[in-house]
This record gives sequence, C-alpha cells and structure tokens, in this order.
Amino acid sequence: MSLKEQFILNFVEGARWKWLVDGLKNTLIITFFALLIGVAIGIIISVIRSTYDKNKETYKKNGGFGYYVLKVLNAFASLYLTVVRGTPVVVQLLISYFIIFASARNGVAVAIFAFGLNSGAYVAEIFRGGIMSIDNGQFEAGRSLGFNYFQTMIHIIIPQVIKAVLPTLCNEFIVLLKETSVAGYVGVMDLTKAGELIRGRTFSAFMPLIAVAIIYLVVVVVLTQLVKILERRLRKSER
Amino acid sequence: MKDNYIIETIDLKKHYKGSVIKALNGVNSHIKKGEVVVIIGPSGSGKSTLLRSLNLLELPTSGSIIFNGVDIAAKNVNINIHRQKMGMVFQHFNLFPHMTILKNLTVAPMKLLKKSKEEAEAKAMELLRRVGLDDRADSYPSQLSGGQKQRIAIVRALCMEPEVMLFDEPTSALDPEMVGEVLDLMKQLAAEGMTMVVVTHEMGFAKEVADRVLFMCDGVIEEEGSPEEFFDNPKSPRLQQFLAKVL
Repeated sequence: MSLKEQFILNFVEGARWKWLVDGLKNTLIITFFALLIGVAIGIIISVIRSTYDKNKETYKKNGGFGYYVLKVLNAFASLYLTVVRGTPVVVQLLISYFIIFASARNGVAVAIFAFGLNSGAYVAEIFRGGIMSIDNGQFEAGRSLGFNYFQTMIHIIIPQVIKAVLPTLCNEFIVLLKETSVAGYVGVMDLTKAGELIRGRTFSAFMPLIAVAIIYLVVVVVLTQLVKILERRLRKSER
Repeated sequence: MKDNYIIETIDLKKHYKGSVIKALNGVNSHIKKGEVVVIIGPSGSGKSTLLRSLNLLELPTSGSIIFNGVDIAAKNVNINIHRQKMGMVFQHFNLFPHMTILKNLTVAPMKLLKKSKEEAEAKAMELLRRVGLDDRADSYPSQLSGGQKQRIAIVRALCMEPEVMLFDEPTSALDPEMVGEVLDLMKQLAAEGMTMVVVTHEMGFAKEVADRVLFMCDGVIEEEGSPEEFFDNPKSPRLQQFLAKVL
C-alpha cells in the first residue's frame, strides 16, 4: 500500500480524521481544567505549608486552637503530597474512575478530577518554591504596616509569586498535556485513544500513531514558544 | 507606667534557639511621646533586635512591651492593630516591587484603614509633594535610586498615620551621597514632633537630632543620656571604647 493509500485509509475513509480532532479537543479540555483545579489546590496547599513553616514559632507560643488547626492542615497537606507524588498517575486515574466515582460514567470529568488532583501536588511545590523565593523583607514590610499573615500573602506575596512562577506553571501545563495521554485507560477518547481506535479499525499502525505524535509535538512546540514570549515580556516589565 | 510613655519595655529577653548568646538580656527602656531616641552600639549588640521587638517582628522570649498601655508581648494580643500605629523603615527599603509608588503608599490605608481610593491617594500625593517625589507616583520601585526608595519607604509608613516611627539602620544600605536626603527627611519629621526610635551608625544625626541616646552592648542598655553628656562625657568604658572607634 502506498503512503497515499494509507493516508486515505486511515484519515479520509469514514472521516476518521474527525476522531483525531475530537480526541485533541478532549485532551485540551482535560488539560486545561485539570490545571485550573491544580492551581487552586496548589495555592491552597502551598500557603498552608509555608504558613506552617514560617509561623510555627509564633503559633506555638500563643498555642490555642489555631495552632492545632494549622498543624492538622499541614499534616493533611504533607500526606496529600506524599500519596500523589508517590503513586503513578495511571493508578490514580483508575482509582478515581473505578472506586471513587464508580457510578459515574463521564470519563472526561473523572479524568479532569484525577489529573487536577495529581497536578495540584506539583503546582503546590512550584508555588511553595515561589513563596520561599520572595525576600523575607516583603513579609516584614507587609506585617509592619499592620497586615495579618493572610492579608500579606494575598496583597503582597502571591502577586509576586504568580509573576515569578508563571513560566514554570506553563511548563507544568505542557507536562500535563502529555500526561493526559493515559486517559484512554478509563475509556476517554483523548488524542492518543483516537489514534488507537483508528489503528484498531484499519490494522495499520504507522499513520495514526505518527499523526498522534506529530499533533502532540506541534501543540507542545507552539506552547513552548508562547512560554518563551511570556518569559521575555515578564523580564522586560521587571526592570 | 508613666502617662507620657508611648512604649516601655520591661526586662525584655530574647535568645535564639541553639545559641548561648542572649540577643536581649533584660532590656528596660521607655520612649516618651514626641521623643527622638537613637540606639547605637557595636554589631551584634542587640540594637536591631530591640527595635524589631518593639513591633514584634522579633518575638521576645520573655518580658513585656507596653505600647499605649497594652502589653503587646502578651498572649492573644492582636498585634496587627498595634502595628498600624507603628511605622517601620527597613535597611533595605522593602518596597513592593510589583506595585507603582502610589500603590505602595495606598495599599495599606485602603485595605486596613478602609480609606477610599481618592482619600488614600490624596494623602499619598500630599506626602509625596512634601518629599519632592510627586513626579514619581507612577514609577516602579526599581526605577528609583536608593535614597528615593528610602524616602518612599518613610512616606509609606507615614501614610498609615503612625504614632511612632521605628527606623532600622535606614541609611546603611545607601550610597554616601544619598544619605543626606534621607537624614534630612528624618530631621524634618523629628522637628514636626514625631516620636522616633532610630537604630543608626550616623553619629552626626544622633548628636544633632536625638533627645536621648541609648548605647547597647551584649544585649543590655549599657548607658543612656542626652547627646551632650553621652558623646562629650561617656561614663562606661565600653562606650568610651566604642566612641573612640567610630568618632
């Protein structure tokens, strides 16, 4: 079979190219919303962890209820990070689909949940690194004006952290995009699964799999370029 | 507590974990309303620790800090309320780099004193005009010189209308030619009757502006007095030694 015939068989016949388009759509949807969840979780977890690290002494001295709440939250955050980073994302996805949401049959939603939960752990570490990189003088300046710890975080620290970690965050998006290729395990037709479906139907592996790889590559290269532009602009506004 | 004391420290002690050296080893001091107190001493003497304890940026290990009649070192005191009344100026300015100068000055009054944007900006612009930096309102801190940054940092503290201003080596990070403009602004503040506590190495400033000078050594106040008796007739040998080195 010539390349042209293979191409027609795999993509044109039965409009199978549409599967790839649908697959890419699902891949992007899962990645985007998972990252939103990841960022939300990440900010919360990183603020809990760095609050605990920075205020241990003060809270211990004043004791009381707040200290125990923070201690429990911090223990919970550490547990979450350990479990999520210590188990494969495929296993987390399978557990989400077949155990946690055993009755749900919306694979995309479950995938968003699972990848979001997974990504949250990595985003949390990105943010924590960002918070740690902010000069302690910024905290002191905020606190000396009368802001409490959380006001200082929200008005002074987090805006600086977001600016500092934005490029890294975009890279996390790219990593996540590739990680979602295992969504097919729970019956979601993402880009990879679409390629597999075509292969199963046409019994020819070359065209669909290479096409899938090229699509991933193009998306990643485009995103990487966007991150580079973003980095350059951020650096310019700095000085 | 005497009526005219705005801050009083009673047997203030601070030791850092794992260190035998006591940064503060029982400091008894007081600041009167409208007074300019300058704290000097060799490095590691605890002068910055004492200043930073006054608004609890350093937590004392024991002792009391009475501010306006309240022991703010006690448990379960809402320190944030009291800090609003204590302006602080840092060695390294600590302006917020992601905000314009105007935003730097208005963020705290708007969020904490619940001032309207117009009100906060009017106050900020008025103070900026006084220090001659009103044309920099829309600049970012990175576009300013060190001296300008420190004057802005002073204005940022003033925007909260504090009752006392704490200065932690405000000119130590400045190039020599910029020290003057910052000291001039501080002199102006002192002349207007602001209560000020200043940790500095500027002996000239201490002589000229201070009502009282404290000499700290090994975590205690070794000697204190009016600038005249302090500089011209020091009693403690440690102070004599120190002055011989710096003057």
